[in-house]
Amino acid sequence: MATYNEHIQIGEPALINKGIEKAITAAAKANPRILAILEDMGFPGIEWWTTTIPERMIECGIAEQNGAVVAGALASEGFIPIINNFLFANVGRAFNQVRQSILVDRFNVKFIGREGAWGEVGVSHNTIEGLASSRTLPNLVILNPADVVEAEKAAEAMLQYIGPVLLRQESSPTPLRIFRDDYPFDIGKAYTVKEGADATIIATGYMLTEAIRAVELFEAQGLDVAIVNMCTIKPLDEEAIIAAARKTGAIVTAENGTIVGGLGDGVASVLAENYPVPMVKVGVEDEFSQSGLITPERDELMEHFGLAAEDLVVAVQDCVAKKERLRRV
Amino acid sequence: MHDEQLIQELHTKANRLRNHCFTQFCTFEQGHAGGTMSVVDIVAALYLHHIKFDPQNVDWPERDRVIMSKAHCCEAIYAALVELGVYPEETLGTYYCYGSPFQGHADRWCTPGIDYSGGSLGQGLSFAAGLALAEKLKMQLEPPARGETFLPRYILRYAPTYRTYCIVGDGELHEGQIWEAAMFAHKFKLDNLVCIVDYNKWSLDGPTNDVMPIEPLVDKWKSFGWWVKEIDGHDMRQIVDSLDMADRLYGDNQPKCIIAHTVKGFGVSNWESLHMHLGRGEEMMKGVREGREKYGDL
Repeated sequence: MATYNEHIQIGEPALINKGIEKAITAAAKANPRILAILEDMGFPGIEWWTTTIPERMIECGIAEQNGAVVAGALASEGFIPIINNFLFANVGRAFNQVRQSILVDRFNVKFIGREGAWGEVGVSHNTIEGLASSRTLPNLVILNPADVVEAEKAAEAMLQYIGPVLLRQESSPTPLRIFRDDYPFDIGKAYTVKEGADATIIATGYMLTEAIRAVELFEAQGLDVAIVNMCTIKPLDEEAIIAAARKTGAIVTAENGTIVGGLGDGVASVLAENYPVPMVKVGVEDEFSQSGLITPERDELMEHFGLAAEDLVVAVQDCVAKKERLRRV
Repeated sequence: MHDEQLIQELHTKANRLRNHCFTQFCTFEQGHAGGTMSVVDIVAALYLHHIKFDPQNVDWPERDRVIMSKAHCCEAIYAALVELGVYPEETLGTYYCYGSPFQGHADRWCTPGIDYSGGSLGQGLSFAAGLALAEKLKMQLEPPARGETFLPRYILRYAPTYRTYCIVGDGELHEGQIWEAAMFAHKFKLDNLVCIVDYNKWSLDGPTNDVMPIEPLVDKWKSFGWWVKEIDGHDMRQIVDSLDMADRLYGDNQPKCIIAHTVKGFGVSNWESLHMHLGRGEEMMKGVREGREKYGDL
């Protein structure tokens, strides 16, 4: 039986948008400067907003470029605008607007962006490049919560932080409830979910659920694998990454997004510059997503992209083998 | 109506701004001479006469906001800030320089007195609309002071706390986002917003209406629900009168657009004939010499 760290209590699957909704509604109740910027794509807790504070809902329609710049201007006047949309739209479609009219002047705008490889809609909306492209932007904090509890805490922290923040709400199968309510969330701090000696999985978002599902499989294989949850994609917790490399000497990253420029590449550059050890990146290879159904029996996209617990086991075995080979040299 | 003396004074001051622009162009023998010369009269009318602006307190919350969306022509704004004493005249000689407050394109972060970091065209009107909306939201959301409660200020107001002015170029109107902002301003009834189009008829690749036709421009703005006024953008009386008119119409729930017909490179013959966009080297200095002769020592 695996031992997890003190703030972990594995529970049933729970939707992360419930956590985001709870945090945002509570913050908006307490702070009249928080505004909802809508781009015809709904908003967390929209019924509450509509019945309680409709005057603080700014509906911009399907015009994300204008929406982003309007939000920048509102923030420059002391408001805290939250833009909710798919990540490819509120940040991707308006990439230069976000850069020029929000990030250059560090305006206090918050983004909630839905993104991930999974979804029925297909290639247009199952986007995988958001983490990678957003990482290139200075002045932007990027959070990618793993479960409903962390989502609530991340949304809370996002609204307390002064400056632009992107909260990525993943399109994925429903993640397990992983954290206890007393889990201490901090922007920029990784959390060690489970200690281990042979290798470390650094997971972000939904992939933490798969890492936890893989724990039993590791035990069956006689592998002692540590799991680190990396919610803050920018700024990356370099200390935690280096400490994990020092301790286990093998790193596997796991993300629901492209492995080109995402969490895996971020971790790789930290390791390459500070403490090089063998590593393997698990995520979407350099390709676009497509439609796929999730049923209790089968998850077509998980099979296609190789993002299941079993795939993590293969990656860890591969990484440990690399480590052993190096040791022999 | 304004008396002739004021108009003459503003005219003289606009020429002083031209001179300040020449000084900036000399730093690297480079600058967006054409668009700056076409907009400088409008900038002079705004900064040196029309807007609420305190040179001693450039962050004054009640100041009128000026968004230079065509921020490559911010030389004109820098000239106005120098003329108002916000920056000493020597700063003009640091234009384009590393660490200077007078960056190549306007940068709010480096330059107190600048309201918007522009340069990526088509975004300024959205920013201006956001500021205009913020003015209205603050009125609506912040509870009125005790003394005001008998007549809530959001029910009857004669003037906004601040107005927002946005200067856009004509080539910039090719950007779809301008029209997103136009719809947005109409939806939120931003009668505290004035957009001024510097219609100098020339873009980088050629005549603006050949590059991508924008006419019929007046009808376009009108169909988006804006109040529109066409003026000669180099006639100081028409400029100040149209700005006054836009102010007086406050309360009509309509955003305002002033289409100012201007001349690219106005006042300097070789810049006018070349429809100069970005001037460099000898072409630039030839114009500067001519301009200095014409407007110098004011």
